[in-house]
Order: sequence, then C-alpha cells, then structure tokens
Amino acid sequence: MTGAGPWLATAARALLGVVFVVAGALKVPDPAAAVRAVRAYQLVPEPLVGPLAFGLPVVEIAVGLALLAGVFLRTAAVAAAVLLAVFIAAISSAWARGLQIDCGCFGGGGQVDAGRTAYPAEVARDGALLLVALALARRPASRLALGGHPHDQIQHAETEHADVR
Amino acid sequence: MSGESKRQAARERIAAKRAAEAAAAAAAARRRRVVLGGVAAAVVLVVVLIVVVVVQTGRTSTSADAAAPGNTTGNGYVFAVGSADAPVTLDLYEDFQCPNCKSLEDRAGSTIEELVADGTVQVHYHGMAFLDTDANDDYSTRALNAAAVVADEAGADAYEEFHDLLFANQPDEGGSGLTDDQLVDYATQAGATGTDVAVDIRNLVYGEWVEKAEDQASKDGVTGTPTVFVDGDQLASDQLTADGIAAAVQAAQG
Repeated sequence: MTGAGPWLATAARALLGVVFVVAGALKVPDPAAAVRAVRAYQLVPEPLVGPLAFGLPVVEIAVGLALLAGVFLRTAAVAAAVLLAVFIAAISSAWARGLQIDCGCFGGGGQVDAGRTAYPAEVARDGALLLVALALARRPASRLALGGHPHDQIQHAETEHADVR
Repeated sequence: MSGESKRQAARERIAAKRAAEAAAAAAAARRRRVVLGGVAAAVVLVVVLIVVVVVQTGRTSTSADAAAPGNTTGNGYVFAVGSADAPVTLDLYEDFQCPNCKSLEDRAGSTIEELVADGTVQVHYHGMAFLDTDANDDYSTRALNAAAVVADEAGADAYEEFHDLLFANQPDEGGSGLTDDQLVDYATQAGATGTDVAVDIRNLVYGEWVEKAEDQASKDGVTGTPTVFVDGDQLASDQLTADGIAAAVQAAQG
C-alpha cells in the first residue's frame, strides 16, 4: 500500500460516487418525467416502465453511496460498470434507431426537438466513466475507505465479489 | 541435538500452529462479517427499492376524474379537423413552444390546410408540453391548456385557428412565453368568447389533462416534436416539408 495507486482509486471513487448519487437524486423529484424518459427508449414493455423508472435511481444512489463510503468497493465498482455498460447500450440503440431523445441521464429526458440530441457526447461520457469503474473494480484498494483496513481490502473485495456472483 | 532444543523446537511448532489457527479463525470471522454485512445491505436495498417504487407510483397516478376538454376525438387527446370521411389521416404532434414545429407550420401549414379543405386529409392535432421552463412560466403547459379551453368552448376548428395563431406568434425559446392575457386575446380571435374562457385559461383548468396528454404522446411512441404520422406511418425528418407531406399523403391514397 504505497505509491499513488490507492489515492487514484480514492479519486475514482469520488468521481463515480458523486456522478451516481447526483444522477440518481435528480430523477427522484419528478417521477412522471422519469417514466417518460424510460419509455422514450422504447426498450422495455409498458408494465415495467414504472418500476424501472422509479427503481433505477435507488440503485444508482446506493452504488454511489457505497463508492463514496468505500464499503463493498469491488461489488459497487462492478455494479457501476454494469450500469454504465447498460446505459451505453441503451443510448447507442436509441441513436441507431434514429430516436430523438435526451438520455435522461441526469433527470429530465424523453423527447427533444429534432437536431437537439447529444448521443456522441453522452456515449463518450459514459464510456470514460465505464473505464474508470473497470479500473476501480480491478484495483479497489484505496485510501479513506470505511470498508476495513486498506491492506485487507483486496481480499475483502474478492470475497464480496464471489458472493455476488 | 539436546533435549532442551528439541523441546524448544516443539514449542515453536505448537506456537506456529496456534497462530495459523487463530489467523484462519479471524479470516473466517471476517468472511462471516462481510457476508452478513452484504446480506443486510442487500435486504435494506430491496426494502428501499420497494418503498420508493410504491411511493413514486402513487405520485404519478393521476385522478381519473380530472377535467377533460370536450370536442375531442378518439382517446380524448385528439382534436380532429376535416371530414371524418377523408381517405387519409394525418397525426401531428407539436409543442407550442417548439421552434421546429413553428418552422414546420410555416413551411407546410398551408399545404395541410389545402389537403383538409379538398377532403383528402383529416388532421389529428395532438398537443404536447415538454418545453416548460421557469423563464417561460411553463408556457408549453399554459398554451396547450388554453388550446383545450378553446376547443372545449368553440370546437376543433377553433382549436386549429388558435393553434395557427400561437405558432404565428410563437415567443422565443428561452424567452418569457406569451402572457395569459395574450392567450385570452388569441382565444377570442379564434372564436372562443364565452365568459369562462379567460378564467379557465388563467386557472389551468385542464392542467392535469395536459400532463396526461404528454404521457399519451409518450405511449404513442412520440419522442420528439414535430412528429407527423400519415395513416400511422411516421414521416422521416427530411419529409417534413410541404412537398414531403403532400407526397406522403398522395402515396397513402394510392
């Protein structure tokens, strides 16, 4: 546990944690908009639109808080990576199908005026975050984490990871 | 080797074994704590998930007895203009604050009206309201509510008249929107002159209906404005011209 690695992991946790908590929290105040944002992708059947629109922010906030606190780090980093991969796939699919939607990544979402889509920027942003999440999942040992002694963390995290799988 | 050093070596072996056992026990205890912590966290997450989904579902369910305007067609969110016997139906989804809708109206509005006048097309106007901002005082919602008031008072043809007036006088996106007084003036010009018109426009009497109209558009698969369907087929954005719409209507008649 020497060198800059653990501090880089801490920075990665802070970045991902803040992004996930903010992205989740912004979707809570206007549930009707969240529903429209999910429906606009035209990927899930209508009965699942509501539960997904309301449940996703909870998962995002939970993952974000775990990353910020430094508990269940590898599990949280893997979950963040999985979420980001799903987001990228959904946005890319909307792009490929020629839908005119905002990703709704930070609340809002749904319809936008023709020509106001921002798919390349949205995919690039989520792709960069995905790389950070994957790096963190590979080396979760970091400073300022609640989840046990830093030296033990790699073992800890591996155990957690195995449980989840 | 002396007896003393043998005993010393034996003691060391026993100590090492005990240390290994203690370490294994500590590792096992730690694994148990991690598993228990993980299970507890998972249970809390599931409970929170269920509570939030239930609460948010309750917040989004609109009351069934919300005021709805009269003179609608079909599912209650459509204002139909033109002969019901017209061979082609043109569904038009627009937001009164949407600049691209105004430019569509400027380009193709008169062509659509000609197609309606000669009995070829019945237009189904679907209002949307997703460009509300603090700056425009929720103009999208106020405008669609006012349009519904006009239709309720004076019929779908008056809706079209009002619709044309609002697009001709569309406020800048990012600006402050038209005032309620201006909406009342245009409603009067469109033929909605009843005593309740001004009150209903100012009081957003169809505010909840506007939200449901927005949901309905989303369920109809509309993800942007303007969106145009000719007999159910969505036009591509490069077809949204006078010629493009005329050609699509011609093809639908074929």
